[in-house]
Amino acid sequence: MQTDRRGFLKLSMVGAAALSTMSAGATLSGCTSSGPASGMKHLRPEDVELLRALTPAVMKGKVAPDDAAAIDETVRSFDTLMDDLSPPVAAGVHQAFDVLSFPPTRALTTGQWSAWSRASLEDVESALGRLRDSSIGLLNAIYAAAIRLIISAWYLIPENALTTGYPGPPKKLAEVAPAAAAAEGTMP
Amino acid sequence: MTDLSTITLGSNTDPYNQAAERGWDMTDASTLTSTLELEADVVIVGTGAGGGTAAETLSKAGLSVVLLEAGPLKTSSQFDMQERGAYRDLYQEGTGRGTKDGGMVILQGRSVGGSTTVNWTTSFRTPPETLKFWAEHMGVTGCSVEEMAPYFEHMEKRLNIHKWPQAPNNNNVMLQRAAEKLGYPWATIHRNVRGCLNLGYCGLGCPVDAKQSMLVTTIPSALDHKAKLIHRARVVRVLREGDVAIGVEAEALTPNVRGTTGQKITVRAARTILAGGAINTPAILLRSNVPDPHGRVGKRTFLHPTTLSMAIYDQPIDPYYGAPQSIYSDHFQWQNVDTGPVGFKLEVPPLQPAFAAGFYAAAGEEITQSMDQLDHTQCMIALMRDGFHEDSQGGAAELGDQGQPVLDYPLNDYLLEGVRRAYNVMLEMQFATGAKSARPAHKQAKHYMSWKEAKAAVAELDVAVHKATVGSAHVMGGSAMGTDPKQSVTDCDGKFHHLDSLYVMDGSLFPTSIGANPQLSIYGLVYKLSNRLASQFKA
Repeated sequence: MQTDRRGFLKLSMVGAAALSTMSAGATLSGCTSSGPASGMKHLRPEDVELLRALTPAVMKGKVAPDDAAAIDETVRSFDTLMDDLSPPVAAGVHQAFDVLSFPPTRALTTGQWSAWSRASLEDVESALGRLRDSSIGLLNAIYAAAIRLIISAWYLIPENALTTGYPGPPKKLAEVAPAAAAAEGTMP
Repeated sequence: MTDLSTITLGSNTDPYNQAAERGWDMTDASTLTSTLELEADVVIVGTGAGGGTAAETLSKAGLSVVLLEAGPLKTSSQFDMQERGAYRDLYQEGTGRGTKDGGMVILQGRSVGGSTTVNWTTSFRTPPETLKFWAEHMGVTGCSVEEMAPYFEHMEKRLNIHKWPQAPNNNNVMLQRAAEKLGYPWATIHRNVRGCLNLGYCGLGCPVDAKQSMLVTTIPSALDHKAKLIHRARVVRVLREGDVAIGVEAEALTPNVRGTTGQKITVRAARTILAGGAINTPAILLRSNVPDPHGRVGKRTFLHPTTLSMAIYDQPIDPYYGAPQSIYSDHFQWQNVDTGPVGFKLEVPPLQPAFAAGFYAAAGEEITQSMDQLDHTQCMIALMRDGFHEDSQGGAAELGDQGQPVLDYPLNDYLLEGVRRAYNVMLEMQFATGAKSARPAHKQAKHYMSWKEAKAAVAELDVAVHKATVGSAHVMGGSAMGTDPKQSVTDCDGKFHHLDSLYVMDGSLFPTSIGANPQLSIYGLVYKLSNRLASQFKA
């Protein structure tokens, strides 16, 4: 059992290394853009396309596939989140997204053969399931990072946080008029 | 609990509002337009539990002290309890810090006050088992329970550390009840607070300065004693002349502390103290190319790898409100010290929504339907005590291609088996207290409806790196103290073995993990070491 597992992990590492090499080739060969999409600080056009597809699946029940406004708001929040991370972390997210966007690695790792913009909700759910259940650690890592950042981007929008039953934080005096504060009873 | 969103808090507690009247010397390095060159008796790198404590001791001893902090100065006037700004401004890499393979997320503070500005106030003395292990196996002298007691006593008094007198919130109550039901000992946590309003926002910066963090205690005191604070200044390297450290070189960061402005800060000092925490301190040593004949710098870095389980109850839990941690159980912590399966401490975390969502690490309706019931959700965490068993040697801090710190800490089979065991313990506890459903933190898990179903499912889960959600809020080790240079980086005074005048005074000194939330261990040890340094200075 132990030997099997070790051998298996080694195989996975080889697979992971091959995938990163292939997708790194994507940037070098000019298959991915280097600059951000319009209106974005960090997300490139292909990242935006990817996130528009992933968001309704990751946030199923909250963001409908045809709710362009909610999807775009989440993508913008994701872009802000990228700005809040450190440059090395943001670079890592770009590399992970390269694997998912570069057509050969996208097809190989997620089974999504056409562009993300043409994927149905079911296609995306199936793609996410493949990344999650894969025996290749790199793909599990990409899955973990992508969903963590998408759900964080969505719940970091204060109105969305209130859908959890969370009434929100106390107010700070600086945010309200002093008279209103006195009426509500100010704590020290 | 009451709906706290209807409450309005005052904001007149911020000591930094009186900075000018108190004559505090503070510089925001992002505003520098030319090179800054300073001289001092002591330069301290970092303003967290270690740097803050050392700064107070040394400045009160009459020494001139310069404090350098890479993070920004953010104070209670700006703490608005909103998640996004807090994670961006107060945490390393905006909470994006992780281990090299991405297997663990690392929550570490990064602003004036370091992690003490955002920790959950839980205060334990270093456990006797840990101190004994250090003495017997790690070559540590002078740190027995008796020898450490006066230093802990001083810091407990200084930071008003006391047993939490108010009722625990429901998140903690469930831990207590489960422990009682299953016959596990539990106890009430001691906290470093004064006039705490029991709000629950310790992790986002205390809005009323009740938390006795370095930000509002030792750093103001050091500033009163003429210490100089420079924030948004990241130390690049230790400066040397032969075998002597003569200060540090730092670079000024941009206002958002994500880039550099191009300005340099040089501080020449008779003593240099590194207190950047257990990832950044080893990174500074590595960038400085200090002598390291036995290759010990950055080695044996520990995290208390932590996993969790979420449970939904019929009754309201409101896990985002109230003192985050007030109850713990060590039932599984010390059954063995350095043999057998890994020990773990059981606690609970606060669950503000985005934080909770990150903890869930699920997708689709598994996350959205769970999050819809956050107000009825309880979360338990198990913090594994790494660094004692021969199969738990921790990670290694190294440098990335831009000189940035990287922690290589792959989760091995020994720790992953601990994760599976912790899932079972936490799930059983949650169902024992009437949870409707519970879900261990694993990407392929779901909410299980009974302990029987959960137990069967956990047995089948592939508990592997990335699939299991494991994180850390306690970074320790990497510049271990000890008498033997083959095994350690500093001596038991915190002095670097291979250079003069260079000291480490933070959690990176610990030769193993602590086995408890580490802040008081850092305060006590650094209070001891900085007093010793002050007395040597006079002599």
